[in-house]
Amino acid sequence: MEIEFGLEDLAKYPFLKEAGDYVKGLSLSIEDLRQDDYQPALKRAKDRVIEAIQKNFISIEILEPNLEILSFPLALMLVKAIGIDYFMHRYSLAESLRAERLLEKEKKSIISNIFKSAFNVNLISIEHDVFDFKMGMIDYLLRATHFHKPEWKLINRIVEKGFVYVKTHELVRLMREEIRRIVYERMKSLSLPKIPENVKEIVDEISKALPPVPSKELQEVTPGMFPPCVMHVLDLLQKGQNVPHYGRFLLTSYFLGIGKSVDEVINIYPKAPDFSERLTRYQVEHIAGMRGGRRRYKVPSCRTLITHGLCFKDEILCGRIKNPLQFGRKPVDFKKKKTDDRV
Amino acid sequence: MNDKTIEFLKQIFREFYYKNSSKISAPIRMNEREFGYMSFDKVMIRHLSFQTEGELRVFLVKEVPHSVYYSCAYYHEPTLSMDEKGWKGADLIFDIDADAIPTNCKEEHDKWVCKDCNFMGKGKRPENCPKCGSTKIDEENWVCSSCLDATKNEAIKLIDFLLEDFGISKDKIKVHFSGSRGYHVTVEESSLEGLDQLARNEISDYISGMGLSLESLGISKGASYDDMRRSLPSINEPGWRGRIASFFTKLEFEGYDETSKDIKDKILYAYGKMGYKGFEDFAKEIVNKLSANIDVMVTTDIHRIFRLPNTLHGNTGMLKKKCDDLTSFDPLTDAVVLNDETVKLFVDKAPKFTLKGNSFGPYNSEKVILPLFASVYLVGKGLAKVINSD
Repeated sequence: MEIEFGLEDLAKYPFLKEAGDYVKGLSLSIEDLRQDDYQPALKRAKDRVIEAIQKNFISIEILEPNLEILSFPLALMLVKAIGIDYFMHRYSLAESLRAERLLEKEKKSIISNIFKSAFNVNLISIEHDVFDFKMGMIDYLLRATHFHKPEWKLINRIVEKGFVYVKTHELVRLMREEIRRIVYERMKSLSLPKIPENVKEIVDEISKALPPVPSKELQEVTPGMFPPCVMHVLDLLQKGQNVPHYGRFLLTSYFLGIGKSVDEVINIYPKAPDFSERLTRYQVEHIAGMRGGRRRYKVPSCRTLITHGLCFKDEILCGRIKNPLQFGRKPVDFKKKKTDDRV
Repeated sequence: MNDKTIEFLKQIFREFYYKNSSKISAPIRMNEREFGYMSFDKVMIRHLSFQTEGELRVFLVKEVPHSVYYSCAYYHEPTLSMDEKGWKGADLIFDIDADAIPTNCKEEHDKWVCKDCNFMGKGKRPENCPKCGSTKIDEENWVCSSCLDATKNEAIKLIDFLLEDFGISKDKIKVHFSGSRGYHVTVEESSLEGLDQLARNEISDYISGMGLSLESLGISKGASYDDMRRSLPSINEPGWRGRIASFFTKLEFEGYDETSKDIKDKILYAYGKMGYKGFEDFAKEIVNKLSANIDVMVTTDIHRIFRLPNTLHGNTGMLKKKCDDLTSFDPLTDAVVLNDETVKLFVDKAPKFTLKGNSFGPYNSEKVILPLFASVYLVGKGLAKVINSD
């Protein structure tokens, strides 16, 4: 069955393949981007990219649907042209957050259509006091296991004949990561044409406006998976700005906490002229509990970080976590560890 | 186990596999699975693969393993090392073991001995020896029909979760007696095959009742009774909420008059009497009763190897046998497949036990003549050795 979306819908959700088809239908060539007609769309694309990478945010206002739809593939092209994977990740995350905000307020029928079109997930709309849809248990599990709050646990859901009951806002939350992945993959697979001079200039302008790229070690982890407090300290470090002592403590204890080795943590610190590996190693090993009182320091709690002015809480990303380590992670039940695997 | 005893068991197993070769059937998609076996001298061999049923049958007669296993997982290259196999998916598997289910009979037939001071006791093994505090404790666990009935009940509860909550069709669920202490339930050829470890963890937590929050039942600390009443479960609801509501219908509370009241009133009454903490403990007890006691490590392990159906268990000589009708299945009869030729044994120590409707023992350092199936049962457990018949 063909799914129908209006222009407004495509402008809100430009990652949909229907939006892609719409742009294809315009039969644009890369050379057309020199024309004045397309400058507003290019401008919007540029704003989209800068806003996304600098603020982790893309505005949701839609002034002109056509322009908004077109600005999305142009933005992808611009980010791709910058040529740095880290920014592709950051951009995808911001697009997914934008979609999440819009989906929260969306009509049930549109939500169903989007889920079918973008994720091949069938939602069944239900009449229920609390829940809006039911979705297949496998579709649910594939996504919900990335969340660690008790309400996401399968046992705390209504499960009936292989279907899980969900509220609209839960559904939207479940899909955010997937939207991020779709946007990222789209960018990754994009083959860049030879871009006109005016577009090159825009790419240069964007590049100048962007924050420095963190070290290679840091890029191994999806940027969206770092808590904003850690991101803040990283940004300071990368910009060569002064990082307060407690910020360094947060960074070190956090990366040790997520399982990085002492060497990996040392490599996170940029090799500035005043960098002393010996001193850094001593400090990192101390926090890791390998020196001094042999006490491994814990990652400071969100409350402590507020006290030190290091909390940059993102309502959506952080939710109600109490410690940066809980950010985007699922706790491991150590009680269940066992080695023998025969029955 | 001495060489002679091992040779005896191997001889029996070889003969069994030779005579029953045609009954050994390959699991579906056999060539995508890893096989492994344990020899009678307790060496574990893994990363094997069979292409045909015939190959598997020849292997059993030739190698005569103590135990044979096959992977629940499907691989591109089953014989390569774990990292290189290329995981494609795995059956959803469950293991219910009598050891994990508390039953009264354990007090009668299970024993433990401290390896340091020889102090001994009955029932479940303590963490530390009560006399000398040592943690080196040997246990001697036994299974009887009561423990196996209790395991069967857990399997029945598990199957209900699979059918009613997860909507798995009956023909995809296979139930086997493990050949020793419990039941194996396998879901093959279902869309659940591709689920990763985290997803399987959620499934096993669901079935074993781990992590159920009172909030999901509509009980929350600061809420008014009116608010709570609106979100409490009712009997006809699906899933855990419905299960718990239905359980409440069977409960009686002192001073509670059921007339013209529904189940939500009853739950609220209990909550009012017990308070949050008290109700939380009470709910845990209910969840314990309603959940199925599965081994969560087995279900969440996507590389697990499982005993191959229709093969003998080296510790008992019993078969891992398919239960077509679980309710009427009697493992201590239906899975006993060895014959009743007599064997002369010296039994160190064995409690009273029943196999194939015959009662044996208790034995204490004595020579006995037993049918083959009972002999292998004791010898396999290391409680007896074969002596010359002359």
